[in-house]
Amino acid sequence: MKTFEEKWTAWLDGELSGDELAEFEASLPDKTAAEAEKRDAHKLGAFLKEQLQGRAMGNEEFFHHQLRERIAGDARAALVPERAGAKPALWPIGRLVWVGATSLAIFCVCTFFVMREKGPADQSQYLTQILNARVDPAVSPNATISMFESGEGKVTVLWVDGLQSLPSEYATK
Amino acid sequence: MHTEATPAQADVSELDLVKQCQAGDTEAFDQLMGRYRTRVFGMIYNMVHNEQDAWDLAQESFLKAWKSIGRFRGQSSFYTWIYRIVTNVTIDWLRKKQVKGSGAEFDDAIQLKDIDPASRTVPKADALPHQRMEQREIRTRIDDAIAQLSPEHRAVILMKEIEDMQYHEIAEALGCSIGTVMSRLFYARKKLQNLLRDLYENV
Repeated sequence: MKTFEEKWTAWLDGELSGDELAEFEASLPDKTAAEAEKRDAHKLGAFLKEQLQGRAMGNEEFFHHQLRERIAGDARAALVPERAGAKPALWPIGRLVWVGATSLAIFCVCTFFVMREKGPADQSQYLTQILNARVDPAVSPNATISMFESGEGKVTVLWVDGLQSLPSEYATK
Repeated sequence: MHTEATPAQADVSELDLVKQCQAGDTEAFDQLMGRYRTRVFGMIYNMVHNEQDAWDLAQESFLKAWKSIGRFRGQSSFYTWIYRIVTNVTIDWLRKKQVKGSGAEFDDAIQLKDIDPASRTVPKADALPHQRMEQREIRTRIDDAIAQLSPEHRAVILMKEIEDMQYHEIAEALGCSIGTVMSRLFYARKKLQNLLRDLYENV
């Protein structure tokens, strides 16, 4: 259902026909006044067209040039974020994997050597505890015992200093 | 409509040009732009009444057209499609300007007052100075009257009266119904008739 405004506009522009046209014209209270307004609207249209049409653009070549530059610049700008965006997204993952693998390898190597060294040390500590237990502080208060281990880890040298008397069980028989 | 090519030539080669543009051919876009540049600029100028703004908005419109030409499916004519971009860009700009309330809209009109009618800076054999002055005054009156319309009403009246576009084409370009176009046309005409009657009755 068209509103009055829509019908009026269509009538002015000659877009009404048949029953719709007859019906609309019959509904007009003053057809002469309506026809005058129609002519007036057509005058307005012709006047606007005469006055406003054909506004030429100055310096068309420069307009083209400027637009081409903007299109090219836009294309370049679109490429730069793509490239810049790709690196941060991919490199840290690769780097992270390599750094992790290298760290793990270094940790494994260090652990291996530390564990290999640990046996004799435990053993030496054990011997020291035994010796400390055997030296009587009441008899030899200034006694010190130092321990050296050979490079092969098979031989332990005990250096005893300030010992007043040997414990009875170590006495030379 | 007043395109540079005949309608048949325009229809055939226009689709080819659009396809070439979609493949990234900037030369083809240059040709398309050449066909619509004058009309687009004229349409924008009649809406904003300032040559520099019209230039910038025409640039903006064509740049948007280039960026989105890949989405053009040929369901409407190319010129309807580009007019949609043009009117969207221009109406957005007018609305932002309205919100900001910045400066005088009639930069050209203000400058014209300062121009000596007898100036020989731009010599023209076809009009005498007083005729040019009169012409500028008429133009200023028209611009003032159009400026009193909302951006949507401006677009509708200009598309209909200057571009000779059909209701459905205007509706497509503005993204509204045909009924809305007709209704806007009704009010825009009424307003301009009231404001400009003395001019077009006497000129």
